Amino acid sequence: MAAPMALRRDLCSLARILSGISHLGPRALGACSAHRTCNPIRSHVPVTSFHTATVFSSIAVSEEPDSLFQKVSLLVKGHDRAVLDSYEFFATTAAKELGVTINKVYEPSKDTERLTLLKSVHIFKKHRVQYEMRTHYRCIELSHLTGCTAQVYLEYVQRNLPEGVAMEVTKTAMEKVPDHIHEPMWKDHPVDDKPSQ
Amino acid sequence: MASHTSKAFLSLGRINVSALGLQKPVSRVAYATALTTTENKGLPDRTGRGPFVRKPRRDPGKPRTEKMAVDQDWTAVYPAATPFRPGSVPLPVRMGYPVKGGVPPEKKGNLELIKIPNFLHLTPAAIKKHCEAMKPFCTEWPAALDTDAKCDKHFPIKIESSDYVSAGPSVRNPSARIVDLKVKLSSLNLSEPARKKMLKLVGERYCKNTDVLTIKTDSCPLRQQNHDYAMYLLTVLYHESWKTEAWEAEKTVADMEEYSWEDSPSQRNILDMLTRMRVAVEGEGEEVREQMLGRTEVQEYKDSVTRLKNEGESESTMLQYKEAVKKVLNL
Repeated sequence: MAAPMALRRDLCSLARILSGISHLGPRALGACSAHRTCNPIRSHVPVTSFHTATVFSSIAVSEEPDSLFQKVSLLVKGHDRAVLDSYEFFATTAAKELGVTINKVYEPSKDTERLTLLKSVHIFKKHRVQYEMRTHYRCIELSHLTGCTAQVYLEYVQRNLPEGVAMEVTKTAMEKVPDHIHEPMWKDHPVDDKPSQ
Repeated sequence: MASHTSKAFLSLGRINVSALGLQKPVSRVAYATALTTTENKGLPDRTGRGPFVRKPRRDPGKPRTEKMAVDQDWTAVYPAATPFRPGSVPLPVRMGYPVKGGVPPEKKGNLELIKIPNFLHLTPAAIKKHCEAMKPFCTEWPAALDTDAKCDKHFPIKIESSDYVSAGPSVRNPSARIVDLKVKLSSLNLSEPARKKMLKLVGERYCKNTDVLTIKTDSCPLRQQNHDYAMYLLTVLYHESWKTEAWEAEKTVADMEEYSWEDSPSQRNILDMLTRMRVAVEGEGEEVREQMLGRTEVQEYKDSVTRLKNEGESESTMLQYKEAVKKVLNL
């Protein structure tokens, strides 16, 4: 409903803005080593908002390179298996919609913690009562996420975590070998024999 | 008071059933829900003329579910996580342990449906809408890094860290500060002696099978600090392994990482034995030893002994040693 209006309103400024960011586009999208946040300023793009008619303000693009996550593993724990089933459906659907590759979705075996307590407050040692607490798990492994996508997806998924469910996220980030480790600094200046401790 | 009136209702129910002429009086004990209590509460307001005149209780009216269209926008009914409202959900849901010979109780006044977390605000349509709104903030994965091998080649250092989300008195989890740095030594610029020194410095943290050095840091209170400390440790290890100290020249055979056959007791023994075997045939001398060293059986023996010492005892290594010994001693 708000989309066509926004389109008509901003079409005139589209050309102006596009010419401004054209120098940014190919450089950002093409390079793999310089993995910059390749979002051009999107104030002209009509954004579908479902409840209010606010148009998103221009998305800020920073110059620092985006981090890369080779693997992001979500482990959800809960007492109710049905709740985890629904949550898994939600998380996998959200990942598919956002274009995140899902590696594996599996269910580690549940943990049961049992305790035996005395039934009565005083004496009656032969009469006990037993309780058990079952923790069910669900693991969703995603791969090849950028820092921005990981932040967006994880925040969305964590805000919609149901009550009584806990989550543990393990992220494996990739980094280049820093410049000061490429060559040893003693190569050009040989170190004299110092008495080492 | 309330129980008295509810019992009155139950007895009313029984009378009606028997009046209908059923064969056996079925006593349907219902769950106690909020709706079985009566409207009038308390004696003082019965007359309506006392000091506390309460407004008459309004009729709740028809539930909203009957007015809902089939093709309505469900995301507007349940936009956020809310407890279950039986008047807003047009589904004939039943939940709970069924009474004897009965069915699970209906959704009206059902506490079990309110207790369990519901996902009515996260239907596929709602998820699609949310993702459409979030798409502009996501970035694309660089297409050139599609395989693991390419990722390892360009980005050999892997940093692993964990985040924890749970309900409790505090949002923080101290285990979130732990940082694991994993790097393959083959991707670092190390010479042979530097690599050996690095392995000695690092000790347990190196895995021989995968050639991965793991540095786990948890001594600092923040994750960023632990990350910087891990990078600092890697830098220091790298530079120290390139340094050669004066006392490293005193390296003995016991310090060697791998077994080398030259100048070892095994070489001396085999050469002595072969010399004694051939004493009658040729004269003794240095050239005889070198000639024997050049023979293929001696080389095979050397390979089998080296393999046995380096890789440990296994079926294949022992077999190889046996064959080599048989050949050398002409058994």
